[in-house]
Amino acid sequence: MSLLRGPGQRDARAAIITTLCVALAIALLPAGSYLAYAVVWLGVATAAALSGIAPLALARRGAIALPFVLAALPLLFTRSDEILWNGTVGSASISISGAGLRILLTAAAKAWISVQLAILLVRQHPIESIVGSLRALRLPDALATGAGLTVRYLDLLRGEASRMLRARSARSASPLGTTRERIGGTIPWRARVTGNLAGALFLRAYARAARVEEAANARGATGSLSLGALRERDPHVAAKSGLAVALFALITVAGAVLPRM
Amino acid sequence: MLPLLHIPDGFLAPQVALALWLATALVLGIALRKIGDRNSTAGPQTILMGISGAFIFAAQMFNFPVAAGTSGHLLGGVLAGYLLGPWAGSVVMATVIGIQALLFQDGGLLALGANTFNMGVIGTLGGTFVARGIGATLGGTRLAALIGVGVAAWLSVMAAAGFTTLQLGLSGTTDIRLGLPAMLGTHALIGIGEALISVAALSFVAASAPEILRTHQARDAGTSASPARRLVAAAGVIVTVVLCASLFASASPDGLMKIAHDLGFSSKGSAAPFELFAGYSIPGFEGPIATVVAGLLGVLIVAALLVGLSKIAARRRGE
Repeated sequence: MSLLRGPGQRDARAAIITTLCVALAIALLPAGSYLAYAVVWLGVATAAALSGIAPLALARRGAIALPFVLAALPLLFTRSDEILWNGTVGSASISISGAGLRILLTAAAKAWISVQLAILLVRQHPIESIVGSLRALRLPDALATGAGLTVRYLDLLRGEASRMLRARSARSASPLGTTRERIGGTIPWRARVTGNLAGALFLRAYARAARVEEAANARGATGSLSLGALRERDPHVAAKSGLAVALFALITVAGAVLPRM
Repeated sequence: MLPLLHIPDGFLAPQVALALWLATALVLGIALRKIGDRNSTAGPQTILMGISGAFIFAAQMFNFPVAAGTSGHLLGGVLAGYLLGPWAGSVVMATVIGIQALLFQDGGLLALGANTFNMGVIGTLGGTFVARGIGATLGGTRLAALIGVGVAAWLSVMAAAGFTTLQLGLSGTTDIRLGLPAMLGTHALIGIGEALISVAALSFVAASAPEILRTHQARDAGTSASPARRLVAAAGVIVTVVLCASLFASASPDGLMKIAHDLGFSSKGSAAPFELFAGYSIPGFEGPIATVVAGLLGVLIVAALLVGLSKIAARRRGE
């Protein structure tokens, strides 16, 4: 018997499959295929514009992954192939590798486009629809139910956390005109206060879980809670998935055909 | 200072990303079976796991100033594992990491398997077993449990950072020689914040509602693995780590050999009376494979010696 059934969600299965196919195709594009990256980005930006999402805002949001480029930065200096520049800084001899630069730019471009792809998915389909569609795509029931509950209670617990943080700030107020640098005591003291907040929030979450369980039991719930069940299933999901696979093939071919640097 | 643990798409080679998806799916499958044995999905464990996922999200908002311009915040893997049980905790963290990737683009969709493996499997599942192991070894008191959680929370961050760097290195998007010390150095500080907050949070729960911890520990005790299976699992982990680490072994001489070479007395050393694996190599094998096989054989020999000596010690105690 399925209880706690919400109003139902839109079918996002085709969108999820398309996103994963395009993401995999982007990952498989060879290093230095800048023209292919530009073509794929143009496709994503066009899809965004057709969905009513400003491509510029999408591009800006895509920069969220760029700090990770720091991880690839050492390759600029440690690779010894295709040296672009060689010189000394102080007493150290430094060279910049073209191969390292290519790897860095490739990773940055792929990450930037992939983030925009993920944003496109969640802007078009609410997270509840995505969770429901993942359940329809055979995601294990316990995972889907857990994800559904997490999404459902996310705002509520974040609201509680915000109120606790506000209370902490209010308690830590300093008199006007004094420095705030020493407010909050030592680092272990601050960590203990923060840990206490986390512990208190866990107890609230635990109590809420008990109330949800009691409510479910009172309504006679057995088996699946069916959170995020789809309102209606898209009858053309198989055809759309076929198109997604074709898109994957197209991007892969573009990567092989278009010139690289 | 923020942890660089959520790998975006584009940084992992597809074969590395897919291999880690498979490994993660395997472990999560085992975890779901362990949890599913006890309850239906409408049961208290699933409901608690779902709401705990929201708790981890919300608890990650709690930051505290560490020094000028930097702040620490909770990642929550070991805390979730200790409060909910290692298997349930790893499933909760997998859910949280998945929703973070979808909702906030914190980590890529193809890299989701790797991110879940690093933080949910290694960080949470491994971290919780380490926490419990340390707690039990130190006597099983509340203080011992807190020490175990603190050490494991720090280790979980370090292990996640280490595995992230190794995966990037295998994908060719970082230089492990520079990347590993940089990542571990940064995350050593982040790990201290994680350890302090985890210990404080567990201490608060233990003082306010000790029955919650007792309930979960009693339930996990009923389904925990036998000592033999734990030994096999631990051996598996050690062997895997040795095999992975041996691939990155440096070909340069160690400190003493280099000094001997620099000062010109290396030729005065006499050869050992016998050598099992001279130069960590095995006849018939070449390159990195030889190092891996030599490492594996070395682990097996040490394990056999330990088992033999343990049996002798047990027999002596029995006499």
